[in-house]
Amino acid sequence: MKNNTESSTLTTCPYCGVGCGVEARISDNRLIAVSGDASHPANKGRLCVKGSALHETTGHQGRLLYPQIQGQRVSWDSALDKVVDTFARLIDQHGPDSVAFYLSGQILTEDYYVANKLMKGFIGSANVDTNSRLCMSSAVAGQKRAFGSDTVPACYDDLDEADLVVLVGSNAAWAHPILYQRLVRAKQARPDIQVVVLDPRRTATCDLADRHLALKPGSDAFLFNGLLSYLAQANALDEAYIAQHCEGFDAALEQAQRQCPDLITTAAHCGLDPADVQWLFERFACTERSLTFYSQGINQSSSGTDKANAIINCHLATGRVGKPGASPFSITGQPNAMGGREVGGLANQLAAHMEFGNPTHLETVADFWQAPRMAQAPGLKAVDLFQAIERGDVKAVWIIGTNPAVSLPDSAQVRRALQRCELVVVSDCIEQTDTTALADVLLPATTWAEKNGTVTNSERRISRQRGFLKAPGEARHDWQILCDFATRLGFGDAFAYQHPADIFDEHARLSGYRNQGSRDFDISALAELSRSQYDALAPIQWPVTEASPEGTARMFADGHYFTPSGRARLLPIAARMPANPCRDGDFVLNTGRSRDQWHTMTRTARSPRLLDHCDEPYIEISERDAQQQRIHSGDLVSLSALDAEYIGRARVSPNQQPGSLFAPIHWNDRYASHGAVDALVAAVTDPVSGQPELKQSPVRMLGLRPRWQGMLLSLDAIETPASDYWSRVTLEQGERYALAGFSDRPDWSDWVKSWLPASTDLIELLDSRANHYRAAAFRDGRLLWVFIASCEGELPPPAWLSTQLGRSLTTKERMQLLSGRPSEGAPDQGAIICSCFQVGEKRIRQAMKEGANSVESLGKALNCGTNCGSCIPELRALIAHA
Amino acid sequence: MEQQKLVIIGNGMATSRLLDELLSRGASSYQITVFGEEPGGAYNRIQLSPLLAGETDRKSIQLKTAAWYKNHAIRLHSGDAVVQIDRAQRRVISQNGRVCDYDQLILATGSRPARIAAANQALAGIYDFRTEQDVEQIITQGACSREALVVGGGLLGLEAAHALAKKGLKVTLIHRGDWLMNRQLDACAGELLRAELAARGIRFVLGDEISHFEGETVLQAAVLKSGTRLNAQLAVIATGITPNCTLARAAGLDCDRGLQVDDLLRSSDATISALGECIEHRGRTFGLVAPIWEQARLLADRLVRGLATPYRDAPVPTKLKVSGINLFSAGEYLDAPELDSLTFSDPHSGVYRKLLLRNNRLVGAVLYGDAQDGHWYFELIQRQDDLSDLKPALMFGRPECSDDNPSLPATLAIQEIAV
Repeated sequence: MKNNTESSTLTTCPYCGVGCGVEARISDNRLIAVSGDASHPANKGRLCVKGSALHETTGHQGRLLYPQIQGQRVSWDSALDKVVDTFARLIDQHGPDSVAFYLSGQILTEDYYVANKLMKGFIGSANVDTNSRLCMSSAVAGQKRAFGSDTVPACYDDLDEADLVVLVGSNAAWAHPILYQRLVRAKQARPDIQVVVLDPRRTATCDLADRHLALKPGSDAFLFNGLLSYLAQANALDEAYIAQHCEGFDAALEQAQRQCPDLITTAAHCGLDPADVQWLFERFACTERSLTFYSQGINQSSSGTDKANAIINCHLATGRVGKPGASPFSITGQPNAMGGREVGGLANQLAAHMEFGNPTHLETVADFWQAPRMAQAPGLKAVDLFQAIERGDVKAVWIIGTNPAVSLPDSAQVRRALQRCELVVVSDCIEQTDTTALADVLLPATTWAEKNGTVTNSERRISRQRGFLKAPGEARHDWQILCDFATRLGFGDAFAYQHPADIFDEHARLSGYRNQGSRDFDISALAELSRSQYDALAPIQWPVTEASPEGTARMFADGHYFTPSGRARLLPIAARMPANPCRDGDFVLNTGRSRDQWHTMTRTARSPRLLDHCDEPYIEISERDAQQQRIHSGDLVSLSALDAEYIGRARVSPNQQPGSLFAPIHWNDRYASHGAVDALVAAVTDPVSGQPELKQSPVRMLGLRPRWQGMLLSLDAIETPASDYWSRVTLEQGERYALAGFSDRPDWSDWVKSWLPASTDLIELLDSRANHYRAAAFRDGRLLWVFIASCEGELPPPAWLSTQLGRSLTTKERMQLLSGRPSEGAPDQGAIICSCFQVGEKRIRQAMKEGANSVESLGKALNCGTNCGSCIPELRALIAHA
Repeated sequence: MEQQKLVIIGNGMATSRLLDELLSRGASSYQITVFGEEPGGAYNRIQLSPLLAGETDRKSIQLKTAAWYKNHAIRLHSGDAVVQIDRAQRRVISQNGRVCDYDQLILATGSRPARIAAANQALAGIYDFRTEQDVEQIITQGACSREALVVGGGLLGLEAAHALAKKGLKVTLIHRGDWLMNRQLDACAGELLRAELAARGIRFVLGDEISHFEGETVLQAAVLKSGTRLNAQLAVIATGITPNCTLARAAGLDCDRGLQVDDLLRSSDATISALGECIEHRGRTFGLVAPIWEQARLLADRLVRGLATPYRDAPVPTKLKVSGINLFSAGEYLDAPELDSLTFSDPHSGVYRKLLLRNNRLVGAVLYGDAQDGHWYFELIQRQDDLSDLKPALMFGRPECSDDNPSLPATLAIQEIAV
């Protein structure tokens, strides 16, 4: 008998690096609702808008359900045999470095562990890298250089404890909303907390800031060099700490002083007002509890590692590391970037935070694994890996749970590489991505809600991600697929795990193996958990050892570091500007997240309300540049570089610096004709971390004058609309497309019929000048699609039309439909501001007219901003500009 | 003061309206005499189609009873046509020999059915569709016929065909034009109309006309120019109307297509005025009631109050219901190179719209199936506002446009409009 009763499971959110606890309510093998897990220390019951929509994204639509070879469904056996045969042959003929794994910060620690062990210990290559390379490898490298280990010293409680919070290269309000909200509450409780945002853009995060310093793109290290130099000048150094716990201080200071001897020079390097710089430096100097919260704006740079060390230098020089409210704090982007690092998921790491450069470490890992063929040197980092693939040095790549054809820089190169690669294996949960399109073998993998294992968040907290839904089709867990593969390669004994708990146990034992306090990562106290103990594992911060069985909130409070000398290192940082200088007429393109989307949208684009917030690729442009280029908000704008083109809607914004542009990273070939912004980003990487410079790329900008623009709503998905430009949004029912054409108007009626789903029941509006065309098709009286195009004037707002798909319409309604507007009844509520409660701008403005004059009163009236709070900065802006 | 003698020739709808207008102004200075060719008081000619279809009766379409004329001291000579106007003597002479002097004479002689060129039209069973008497004869003949022909694909012909089909006759409509109602609709709307009526059992022969009728004394068949032979026991000729100005012409008044009148509706003889379907004003003749009502109003103003307001021809929309199908046509209705058009078509629901613009000003509208916004378009045609910003919202009627452009008319004085 079917069990229809509801149950609930505690698990961890699959989105950002905050790692929030989620309570999932399940009925009949369906996730019916999610809420924040009040017992989870990361979020204490709160969820952001993306997390709140998780239940809208778990449908099986679009899932990869069966193994495929060259697009044909095959059995698991055939698929794996093909992969094994090719890998074995290539390894045999060309050596282990002719193959590679490319992993994801989204997969679980246990998956990562197996992949890493197989490649580094058994195949004998270190060619296993991950998309975390794009996210935080500079932070890792910076920490390793300074602390001798990849250790995040701080914890989230420090947000409550700090008196000064400096956010650098972080739009936490959108990228890490729960931490941002935590800081908001901390500041509400203690209004004298100072919050400073260092960002070329005025982002939503600045809403909270006492001061926003819009520094020149990429100039961050100059600012922190200037700070170090100022601290010395102002006698604000912790001389005792430097003397007892640090090394390299003099060289670091000398270098800082050489570049940034005074405030004026520093301000000039950074394009800032010296008074602002002085204000910040004075604050930092006199505030013991200073927390520097940094993220991708620092990491995604050709000098990201130096930037991280410039920050850490200042904290070391003031003795502010790992103390309550006082620390450098790198926040990761992905849910399990940290877990991946812990098991050695990066090409330049071993496992359990051990290093290739350390012979003891190599021996330790090899012994523990009883590895027959231990890799002896670091492998290829992401960008190098795909270049090696294109050269033919790497002949087979297995991509797990990520979309490098979109997310890596110079995506045209990545695509070329994958096309040339002898064997591209992709394990994914989604069938159609820009990367699966280039795969030879597709392997269906389980996804969040099905997978079972652990993840580690940005504060070193290991949490369980629990499986509670049955996998659809023939999807299998990544660790199972890898173990099966390993067994077929002849390594069955070393990969005989029956359960993720078995893998976790081995991982925990390795972390303690020959450790004795010599390595930061030690969770030996979590070894030998029973399955039920593993299942019940509560969130806990590593290290977890016999000495600290309840975990460890902060690191390095004792001033002992994992360098050979036990002292932290300050590094002399020669601050550098972005590697690709702008030529005349170029703009600096910054890339990043938009509020409600995640990565390449394979999950978030399935939730219509997450797309309401912004539904097309866009480009933020400063008012000055827009005026000079005669670009208006809503115009289509083309950015080009590296022979690639990105097209988005202009958003003219006072928040953008002249000369700088911003574009979101999410769109790709599945969702837009020219939406993959990373195609414009040159594959320039940080020499230490290998992390690409995704934040500052020179591009050309051109305001486009489309011959026509249009909109299409269709019940059936249209894979590739026939227009020059398109972008796609998933609706509750069906899809919506924005369209534009740059060449001559088509012969509308024939053209539309040539690529839209056929119907014998068609209504049309024709214009003898062909400036306008509108049509709709019906199937059994129900609206199948509606198409509206115009060479002049505006298109109707899409909100109402979206609600009409699939409806049976009366004669009057059919004509009304082509008007694009409802005849009466519910008014169009404008652009959605609050995704959680679906509150639109018009309703908000109406409520403001009726007297609501604060975020609180708007919340009372409309509920907007009362759930995840992500929209509060926008609500404030509406109130401010009312 | 001695009463002036006002004589009105013709007792149709125009006269009926003129009498109302005169009386409402207190026409006590006139002694009014009306001559009517048809028996009885005035009736609503527009209602002849429903009468034929059996949807109404004679009593219901009566506009004025004999008693009404009596009560208002109007002398009515019905069934007695005037045969001569003696302008020199200012008198008229009727068929029955009545001689009646006038100080002011009004001609409201209406129109005659247009003739067709077919041979052998004198056979029994061939009728016009113009008078109550025609309707009675058609009904009588229809009762003993199986097959009927209707000649003319204008409004009247379509309604006759619809009415006969409803009575169970096998009806074929023959139309010279390439599509139905080709004076009001474009080809697309005409085709929609054809398809809809064909679905109700009426057969259509378009682009053809009758060469001759066959039969000894009674109609048996018609042969078309294309050679097609159609059996029929009943034929209704409804190919339109021509102004009836036989009398005026005989009296030496200036006539062209119709009796020519000036802006004060005076003929070439200042004591003789005219209105309605018989006149030609600045080259235009009339078939719809709205302008005729206006003529009646101005004429009464002049006769009773001495006001000399010139009559100005205004465009008139055709809004009508053919056999339950709503149609509207105003202004231009055919595509032309210098015109822009917007069209909406929903063949499945039988809805079609075409708007014609010249220099972004609306100059014509054809609505089929849903005529709701017709009046609004009509007003836009008269206003000649620049509508560049309203393309293509214009297509969806006033509510869609008034949001964008509040200056556009939101309401409109609705005119009673019919053929």
